[in-house]
Amino acid sequence: MYSDAYDPLDDAIAALPLEEPPAGLRASILLATAYRPAPLFSLGEYAAMGAMAAVAVWLVVLVVMGGGALFLHTLEAIGSTTARVLSNGATLAWLAAGGATALWMSLFTGFQPAAALPKRSQTPPRR
Amino acid sequence: MTAIPDDGALVALALRGNPDAFATLVERYDRAVYHLAYRTLQDTEEARDATQEAFFKAFRSLRTFKPGSKFSTWIFAIAYHACCDRLSRRKRYTGSELPERADPSPGPEDQAIARDDARRLRAAIDALPEKYRTAITLFHLQGKQYEEIAEVLGLPLGTVKTHLFRAKEQLRRLLGEMEVT
Repeated sequence: MYSDAYDPLDDAIAALPLEEPPAGLRASILLATAYRPAPLFSLGEYAAMGAMAAVAVWLVVLVVMGGGALFLHTLEAIGSTTARVLSNGATLAWLAAGGATALWMSLFTGFQPAAALPKRSQTPPRR
Repeated sequence: MTAIPDDGALVALALRGNPDAFATLVERYDRAVYHLAYRTLQDTEEARDATQEAFFKAFRSLRTFKPGSKFSTWIFAIAYHACCDRLSRRKRYTGSELPERADPSPGPEDQAIARDDARRLRAAIDALPEKYRTAITLFHLQGKQYEEIAEVLGLPLGTVKTHLFRAKEQLRRLLGEMEVT
C-alpha cells in the first residue's frame, strides 16, 4: 500500500516552515529547567531555621505559661546540666576528638579555616 | 574551531550538571517540539504549555534517556504524550476545524504564490483527523524515518505507514478541493 517512490507532496510537506513559537517560550523553558534559580536556602538550612523557630516558640510558651518563673527554672536547669557535662573530662576529650576529626576532614573537602588563608600583607606584590 | 557536540554528548554533559548543555538541546528542539504540539493541539496557549511540560519532564527524567537513542525521538514522544493528555482532557478528536491564522505580509509575486501553496497545504493538514495530522507532522519533522515516527506514536510500523498513506491521500483530495473553490 505504501510506496517509497518519489512524491512531490513529500517535498511540499518538507518545505513547510515550522510554526513560530510564542515570544519568551525558550526563556520560560530555560528558567524552569537548566537555568532554574538556586533555592534561597539549602535543606539543612531550612532544618536549622525550623529547629531555631521551634526552640523560640518553646521558650515563648514557657514564659507565657510560667510567668517567667518556669522560664528561669528551665534556663537554670539547662545551665547546670551544661556545666556538669563540660566539667566531665571524658566529655571534653570526646568533644576535642570530634573537633579535630572535623578539622582533619575539612582538609580533604577544600574548606579552609580563615586562619589558614594568607593575610593581605602576605600576598605577593604585583609586578 | 570546536566541534559541535551531538545530542548524546549534550545529554551526558547535562547529566554531569552542565546547564548550558541542556540549554543547547532546548535551543535545538524547542521550535520543532512547539510545531508538533501546535499541529496536534491546534491551540497556541495549549501548545506553549505542552512544549514547556515536555522539556520540564525531559529535564527531570534525563537519567532515563537511553544512550545511543535519538534525543529528537525521545523529546517528540514526551511532547506527543503531553499533547495526548491534553486532547483526552478536552475530548476533542473531531479534527475538522480549520484554525484561524494570520496572513503573512505581502511580498514579491513568486514568494506570495509559494506562501499561498504553503498556506493551503497547512490548512489541508489542519483539516486532517488528529491521528493522520500527527503522523504527517512527524513526517515533516523527521522525514522518512518511519521507525522513529512509530516510536514516538507508540504504533506498529505498518500502522504508521498506513496512516501516512491515507493522510497523503486525504491531503491530495483536500488540496484538489481547495483548487476548485
